[in-house]
Amino acid sequence: MIRIAAVGDVHIDKDVVGRYRPALDELPDKADVLLLAGDLTRHGTEEEAHCVATEFGGLGVPVIAVLGNHDHQSDQPDAVTRVLTDAGITVLEGTGTVLEIAGVRLGVAGAKGFGGGFAGRCASNFGEPEMKAFVGTTEKIADSLGEALRALDCDVKVALTHYAPVPDTLVGEPLEIYPFLGCYQLGQAIDSAGVALALHGHAHHGTERGTTPGGVRVRNVAHPVIKAAYSVYHLLDDSETAGSTLAAAAR
Amino acid sequence: MTNTDTNRPVDEYVEAEVQRLLTEDGRISEQGLTVSRRGHTLILCGDVESVQRREEIVRLVREQFPGIDLQVDIGLTRAGAPTEAEELS
Ligand SMILES: [Fe+2]
Ligand SMILES: [Fe+2]
Repeated sequence: MIRIAAVGDVHIDKDVVGRYRPALDELPDKADVLLLAGDLTRHGTEEEAHCVATEFGGLGVPVIAVLGNHDHQSDQPDAVTRVLTDAGITVLEGTGTVLEIAGVRLGVAGAKGFGGGFAGRCASNFGEPEMKAFVGTTEKIADSLGEALRALDCDVKVALTHYAPVPDTLVGEPLEIYPFLGCYQLGQAIDSAGVALALHGHAHHGTERGTTPGGVRVRNVAHPVIKAAYSVYHLLDDSETAGSTLAAAAR
Repeated sequence: MTNTDTNRPVDEYVEAEVQRLLTEDGRISEQGLTVSRRGHTLILCGDVESVQRREEIVRLVREQFPGIDLQVDIGLTRAGAPTEAEELS
């Protein structure tokens, strides 16, 4: 079993440093890895990134993150990434990493993602240059996520994004803003790669659980949605699944 | 019409301007709050990470839209450790 803790949208600044610490001190007892699903800062400044590094650095378990739209607000995502990386946090953007946990190779690939909307109701790469740039960005990021996921050499794959790959986990948000909350191309990338679990944030009023068209479990771990410092997901391997099915049948 | 006119009715344009203020004013930068109207009242709803952030939102909205009937339903995100895990096979 692999135990994955995850949270997104922590929006850290000076005023909240220390707020997560009591729960984070318990994290190594509950999880093997922590995934951060973007919007780590309020405005994407280096100073705020240092606050994130203070809060989520040196936890005793590996920490893997993607950036969110807030982390781009000051146009210095590279500086934010550098501060987090210096604190030992792995930041993914169209890239992946593999960890060995209790003899199982866990692969995580991630990207911020982007908006664009969902099947049949989405923006098209057509018309004005601004519109083509918008949808072109959606496509480029989703392609890089798909490539990174397919390239992972591991036993279990997890996809990490900020924007949503499915509309299921947006329920609770106004329908009109779905195209700003995610895109189907991320779901398609996830479905191309044999992923066990997809985690995202961004939709503060959304819903925790959803599924891609290909059957991959999706969880919205935006902080206001999960109502805790982080959520924990246990990924069971096949033998454990068989065991629990037998146990259930015996009841 | 500017943001500082007093006693504007709470209409679509006030709703739109408040929603953009919440995101675009660097002292707030909250994209995850909902703004809605009920009768003549403007309602702000959602969760923020600190009491100071909620106070700053109320202060700035009142300053820029003086006299509007405002209801604030903004809570604090809960930052406790989870008590249970979800098992996925
Ligand atoms: Fe967010
Ligand atoms: Fe976001």
